[in-house]
Amino acid sequence: MRPARPLMIALAAALVFALGAALTGPPPARSQTGADVLLNVIGGGAKKLNIFVPEFTMRAGADPQGLGKRLAEVAGADLTFSAVFSVVGGAPPLPADDAEATKKAWTDAAAAGAHAALHGLLALRGDRAELEMRLYNLTSPDLALIASKKFEVPVAEARRLAHKTADEIVLQFTGEPGVADTRIAFVSARARAKELILMDYDGNAPSALTSNQSINLSPAWSPDARSLAFTSYMRGYPYLYRLFAFEQRPVQLLAGYLGINSSPAWSPDGRSVALTLSKDGNPEIYLLTLATGAFRRLTTHPGIDTEPTWAPTGRQIAFVSDRAGPPQIFIMDAEGANVRRLTQSGFNTQPRWSPKGDTIAYTSRQGLHDLWAVSPDGSNLRQLTSGSGDNESASWAPNGRHLVFHSSRLRGSALFTMLADGSEQKPLPRGEGQATSPAWSPRLP
Amino acid sequence: MRQGRARVFLVAPLLLMTLFLVGCPKRPATTAASAVAPAPSAAVVPSPPATGGGTGAAPMPGPSAAAPSGPATAPGTPPSPSEFSANPALKDVYFDFDKYDIRPADAKILDENAGWLKRNDTLVLIEGHCDERGTNEYNLALGERRAKATMNYLVSQGIQANRITIISYGEERPVCTEKAESCYAKNRHAHFLVKAR
Repeated sequence: MRPARPLMIALAAALVFALGAALTGPPPARSQTGADVLLNVIGGGAKKLNIFVPEFTMRAGADPQGLGKRLAEVAGADLTFSAVFSVVGGAPPLPADDAEATKKAWTDAAAAGAHAALHGLLALRGDRAELEMRLYNLTSPDLALIASKKFEVPVAEARRLAHKTADEIVLQFTGEPGVADTRIAFVSARARAKELILMDYDGNAPSALTSNQSINLSPAWSPDARSLAFTSYMRGYPYLYRLFAFEQRPVQLLAGYLGINSSPAWSPDGRSVALTLSKDGNPEIYLLTLATGAFRRLTTHPGIDTEPTWAPTGRQIAFVSDRAGPPQIFIMDAEGANVRRLTQSGFNTQPRWSPKGDTIAYTSRQGLHDLWAVSPDGSNLRQLTSGSGDNESASWAPNGRHLVFHSSRLRGSALFTMLADGSEQKPLPRGEGQATSPAWSPRLP
Repeated sequence: MRQGRARVFLVAPLLLMTLFLVGCPKRPATTAASAVAPAPSAAVVPSPPATGGGTGAAPMPGPSAAAPSGPATAPGTPPSPSEFSANPALKDVYFDFDKYDIRPADAKILDENAGWLKRNDTLVLIEGHCDERGTNEYNLALGERRAKATMNYLVSQGIQANRITIISYGEERPVCTEKAESCYAKNRHAHFLVKAR
């Protein structure tokens, strides 16, 4: 399977291709990749690729919980979320090994406008669940197979089969995996406590990461998606800790100095954590090297310096400082040198450097708080949210195409997602309590 | 012979100095590896200076305090905030939005608080608070500056820095939760708690 090219290149190429095709006629037939299919469909004027997702076929084992139907729905929701696909679902499962019936189903779906089809084949064996995905190109006369792949997980984590399948389909068509097989950690406020909660990226299966009845803040994922750094008052003072999200391991103290120990941000190589300490008199940014426990001071200014965020190259850090009056976003080298100001006016905090490197999202306060984005060179300034309560605390999905944030546009504070251009703002399912400070995990191992 | 004598004279002061340093409770504590950190890649315990960089309070918990479920037992650790309690004689001071300077009217309140602290030899915990505007992490830093500015004023009035501990709660512990300036103003404050020595 040839890796497909990134979506944007594909879209640009589609325009060139469409022009060329108009002059020279259709190109010679060849086996099409998912990227080719998407390129042709978008080049033909469609906004999204229509994918047909019938209920998954049971290949082995009984299915009393209706997993075949549910997982097809989850995969369909994942593909819809990706914003690349328009999903046609709700059809009954195909027979397991019936080429004629499959061909007829794909022919009918193609006639109804589908460009691609997903056939899921589910096997339940004891406590293991296995899904084979087969992806078809319905725009080719032979309804060619584009890709097939198998995933296996414990049956209790069966939803991950749908997420992994959706991520693979996004990879086949756009050149980069989707983000369905990720989690979101966030702060949930109830009464006087703020606890950290972990859930699937779509809001499913929330579970407690902390239950110390204290104030827990600022969750930040390690790049390996195994642990989170966070600030907690569990021992009275705001110290910085590390917890392991998926392992039975004790919480570690990362920084317990006098004053605040806050705003953690892992370096992209996972070896160090940038953080804010006030031990030397006022809030400054330091770099903690995890292997040695050594702290190195990066900022030296009598004002507030806090909220570091790393460029994905690991060579620069954006941060917040009030050295010029109201807080603004600044950028420095990872060693603390060459400080320059990024935002020029207003009250700007919470910089979040995109994993693609080309954008820094941040929160700007102009009466209400809204999310903005700007290129690291200060160009391409744009507002992402507006006119709907406070919108704060953005966190990037690992592909840099989606953001999760908290908003008070409905009653109380809840989590929302949107695309990087601010479109498709949608609430995540609400749990109990006020949800704030989301942290989107890297792709899970 | 002479050489040997000279060496004794040189070594003796060094020994004395070493004894002094070992005996001094303010000697920077070099902490060993954490008792609770089995992670091979991240056995992390910071090794801070013990003197608190002018904040006047005691240092961070040592390695024995790294287990978050255990008590803070390291010598010199500031008492837990829960050991302090309010005293009606000590009045709050308030701040303008996104500011941490002491306003003239509040300086008079702090003068009175300083007078009470001179008559009552207690430890004092200063909490720095913010309103909900601005964002959580920035407000944590802002609350720290408010507590620190308040502490510095008390020190300038003759209160010993080593009686004072500060803590920032940022916007996390509002006294008032309505979305109105009257409420925000109440939340932008420094609050005092005391503990007997």
